[in-house]
Amino acid sequence: MLRACRRVLRSAGRIAYYNIFVTPGLPERLHRRALRAGPPAVASRGISQVDLLMRAGFKSVTEADLTAEFLKTARAWYEGRQSQEAQLRASCGDDWFKERQNDSRTMIHAIEEGLLRRSLFVAESG
Amino acid sequence: MKGKRQQEILKRFTERYATDASPALNTIERRAIGAVVGANGYTTVAQGDRLLTVLHLKPGKLLLDVGAGRGWPGLYLSERSGCRAVITDIPRPAIGAARLEAEQLALIGRCDFSLASGSSLPFRNATFDAVVHTDTL
Repeated sequence: MLRACRRVLRSAGRIAYYNIFVTPGLPERLHRRALRAGPPAVASRGISQVDLLMRAGFKSVTEADLTAEFLKTARAWYEGRQSQEAQLRASCGDDWFKERQNDSRTMIHAIEEGLLRRSLFVAESG
Repeated sequence: MKGKRQQEILKRFTERYATDASPALNTIERRAIGAVVGANGYTTVAQGDRLLTVLHLKPGKLLLDVGAGRGWPGLYLSERSGCRAVITDIPRPAIGAARLEAEQLALIGRCDFSLASGSSLPFRNATFDAVVHTDTL
């Protein structure tokens, strides 16, 4: 996907993206647990995004760790749904509510344990 | 992402984007993201504003938002900066919702929409000044 993005960028074009990823270097068991805990599109490869960007031909690659903000936002979604429980169960169904909150709890625990991270990556097409 | 995992992700996102907005969902989104912008992920309004800066967006620039869902943050970035934008994603309900949102924001004149995968972008080489995506890799 990064190569495809670089292809469509003009010279000196810029890419910026937020990405949730499994903390590099985890033992296999924890890596699998992090994958299960993350959202559907969590980056799953063991290669860092910085390396992937450089391999795709991008220059001036920077990363800003935003894991603390990620945890705060994940908690806000969870607590927000909890505060609207009756309305959500009525409009979206009990199964929807239960599944969302279970998934959310699992992900929050994974962030707290250092299994999942989120960063802003910025780079130039060169 | 290929094969079974890709199909599973597409199914989950399609179901997610098919969920209609409601006062309760809007309240939760405002609490989590900082505004009601059709988001269901983790990119806050403050983080959207940060993208404006790092991408150097301004009128005349062309932005590609890959995996934009209902149009967040691509539509917001276009509205704030005056740049043109192309909004892409795979789930049809998401792109339909993004188009409706653009109509409501009077952005149809400078935003286009495309059903497209990030790994197979249907655009010519060197088309865009900036690319953004949020939690789609």
